[in-house]
Amino acid sequence: MTETQNPAKAAIAQPGGRPALLTLLQGERPYMLYLAFAVMLVVFSLASPWFLSIDNFLNIGRQTTLVSIIAVGMTFVIISRQIDLSVASTLALSGMSASLAMAFVANSWVVGALAGLGTGALIGLINGLLTTRLEIPSFLVTLGTLSGARGLALMVTNTKPVIITNETYFAIFGEGSVLGIPAPILWTLGVTVAGILLLHYSVYGRRVYAAGGNPTAALYSGVRIKQVTTLAFVLTGTLAGLASLILSARSHAARPDVVQGMELDVIASVILGGCSLFGGRGFVLGTLLGSLIIGTLNNGLVLLGVSSSLQLVVKGAIIVAAVAFTRR
Amino acid sequence: MIEQGSIAPLSGIPLLRVESVSKRFGGVNALRGVRLDIRAGEVHALLGENGAGKSTLIKILSGVHVHDGGTIEIDGRPVSFSSPLQSRDAGVAVVYQDLSLVESLSVADNLLLGREPRTRFGFLKRRQLVAQAEAFLKSQNIPLDARAMVGSLPFAYRQMTEIAKALMGDVRLLILDEPTSALTDDEEKILFEAIRAVAARGVGVIYVTHRLNEVFRISNRVTVFRDGQNAGTFVTAQTNMRQLVGAIVGPDHAVLKSDAVATQPDPTSSAASAGKPVLELKAVSNDRLDAATLELRGGEIHGLAGLIGSGRTEILQTIFGLRPIRSGEASLDGVSLRDIDPAEAIAQGIALVPEDRHLQGLVLDHSIERNLTLPRLPDFSRLGWLQRGPASEQAKTAMRRLAVKAPGASTLVRNLSGGNQQKVVFGKWNEPRPRVLLLDEPTVGVDVGAREEIYGVIRAAAAAGSGVLLVSSDLSELIQLCDRVSIVVDGRITRTIERQDLGSAEGLHHLIQISQPSEEHAA
Repeated sequence: MTETQNPAKAAIAQPGGRPALLTLLQGERPYMLYLAFAVMLVVFSLASPWFLSIDNFLNIGRQTTLVSIIAVGMTFVIISRQIDLSVASTLALSGMSASLAMAFVANSWVVGALAGLGTGALIGLINGLLTTRLEIPSFLVTLGTLSGARGLALMVTNTKPVIITNETYFAIFGEGSVLGIPAPILWTLGVTVAGILLLHYSVYGRRVYAAGGNPTAALYSGVRIKQVTTLAFVLTGTLAGLASLILSARSHAARPDVVQGMELDVIASVILGGCSLFGGRGFVLGTLLGSLIIGTLNNGLVLLGVSSSLQLVVKGAIIVAAVAFTRR
Repeated sequence: MIEQGSIAPLSGIPLLRVESVSKRFGGVNALRGVRLDIRAGEVHALLGENGAGKSTLIKILSGVHVHDGGTIEIDGRPVSFSSPLQSRDAGVAVVYQDLSLVESLSVADNLLLGREPRTRFGFLKRRQLVAQAEAFLKSQNIPLDARAMVGSLPFAYRQMTEIAKALMGDVRLLILDEPTSALTDDEEKILFEAIRAVAARGVGVIYVTHRLNEVFRISNRVTVFRDGQNAGTFVTAQTNMRQLVGAIVGPDHAVLKSDAVATQPDPTSSAASAGKPVLELKAVSNDRLDAATLELRGGEIHGLAGLIGSGRTEILQTIFGLRPIRSGEASLDGVSLRDIDPAEAIAQGIALVPEDRHLQGLVLDHSIERNLTLPRLPDFSRLGWLQRGPASEQAKTAMRRLAVKAPGASTLVRNLSGGNQQKVVFGKWNEPRPRVLLLDEPTVGVDVGAREEIYGVIRAAAAAGSGVLLVSSDLSELIQLCDRVSIVVDGRITRTIERQDLGSAEGLHHLIQISQPSEEHAA
């Protein structure tokens, strides 16, 4: 029997155990996360005169939108003890699908949105079904779809971009704003709030935690783990689809070769935000913070004039150090 | 390399002498002055019910625990092991039930794992490794192919590999902890020959088992523990099964007496005898069951007795929808249970308290409330959204009713004691009352006080009309609680015994033993 009493650990409220605002803000040693973010803000503010401005923060928000939105879905996937490596490719293929639908089916933002979201959801469904029904580890399944979806995206137009001409589409997903807040940031906030509600306040969220915390005990408690897990993949795929709409609306075109390697930023955000790769732990707000930390890091390093090659090295080192610090 | 050297003569000082050894865990006296002596070259069986103190003594001998009182001598020299390494250095080797082999490596690789012969540059000397392993196996008379892949070996040969691995080095005392629980008869024969070969080389063997048949086939002497004390040591050739069973369960076990039975709820007033069948299995077969037939009445506590691996657990799993039914018919209140999954089983009113609460029963890193509400989340939700009030209300009620000792419902289950963890598992199914409550070893690893409380919960469930199916290796527990007991052998139910015919734990033990297919030693 391992009855080691650990007062320090017992004192930390269980994430989501009672999802009051307090618990939402708490993860595994979360204050370290907040501290890391605060220290970073101070350092960059002192080092660069351009860093501390509303414009720059909106800039960071816009730049992190894609990662933040997909990372909300990835939080569900990782809490349920899975991983999704295919999100960047899913985004690329969904964007192609949305732009082609508007070009050839009907030039309506609704058609584009449905095609983009639907494609993302479909790839998520494929990931989920292969993982749960054929019991292939999701690492391998999504490694496959990472390659397959990217290949399809490149094939459909023979690697050429597809121009989008729908003004409403641009406004809704890219260039519009409400009260001065740009649409991409509004989408990020909306998805984060929805993610918090779903993960911390719904029956489904409870089941995600249980499926990842102890799959056998969850099964013995009547949780349909396969459905729960599959749905987490569908959610992530759909959010990758939404991200593709935002990206293509911003650039007035969909390109098949966009955001290669972005899955790593997404996963890093989730882990940085306090999710356990072993499942059962994590919270949505932490993920958003994780993604903002990575976004701020990118932004600050650019402002400091760090060369782009060195940026990658510094970013990698800081992510590993931060994860090491924020966990037991 | 390995020198079995000179062996203490049979007549001289025993190889191992355990004298008045005691051990307390908190308030529990696990060992209260036990004796045991092992001679070089003998196979000595160690028997006793769960909790009798066998595994505590083995853990002391292997250096996992330190004894509180008494002396342990090896070759006449007092020893006290504070780590497994010291025990190992003194020549004690233990083979546990769960194998510790790397299946993807060969027998030779496993035997020399961590001390492979290598060249100056750190490269493996493959040929020498195999040669060393083969020489060792030959010296021990163990019929194993050093090149065979462990994962491809039948279970008996894996067990043998484990024994060979334990014998690497200068081993004087070999302890085997239930080595045959997963073996067929033929495999058992092969393994026994290997054990005899080891003993013939002058090693003392302690053989822990639950199967009395084996005692007569392999051992020279038998020692029985009961409640942390010696209940007798016998020369195997001069004893019989009835005497051993008597020593195991004890002559004056209070619950065995018929007058103690009469203090149980009066059978005539209980719903059990008159109750209508709630759950029926008719010739249910699948990968582990072989035409199992069973009838469970409402308000009845129905015991399932049998050896580990007999299919008791699998009967519960099949009813709960964890194992598909291949043929036969299972029904709850006349509704078929074919092709259900656990979620549907729960919806129909079936509840399962599984055998391994850490692995199957609880999410240890989640709070009590989360664990308690998990099986019935739909009851605490509206349109998929959790209703926090009712959920936490329900959790608090369950904690109060089951007397779960914890600071609050948000306490992590990991921080609870074993008994309180088990109460949480019960609490998952407390309200509403299940139609059928399936219990798999519900009091294993639970201290005495919590055990009585759990018995109260089980009786209350039956009194409220639930049919209870109880799997237990603790026979006095079955006799204390059950209205009827069915004996399970190889996935079949061989007989069902009514409460008035149940008699004593000794009798039940005997019945289980004589129900085994390869029985030879009925007294």
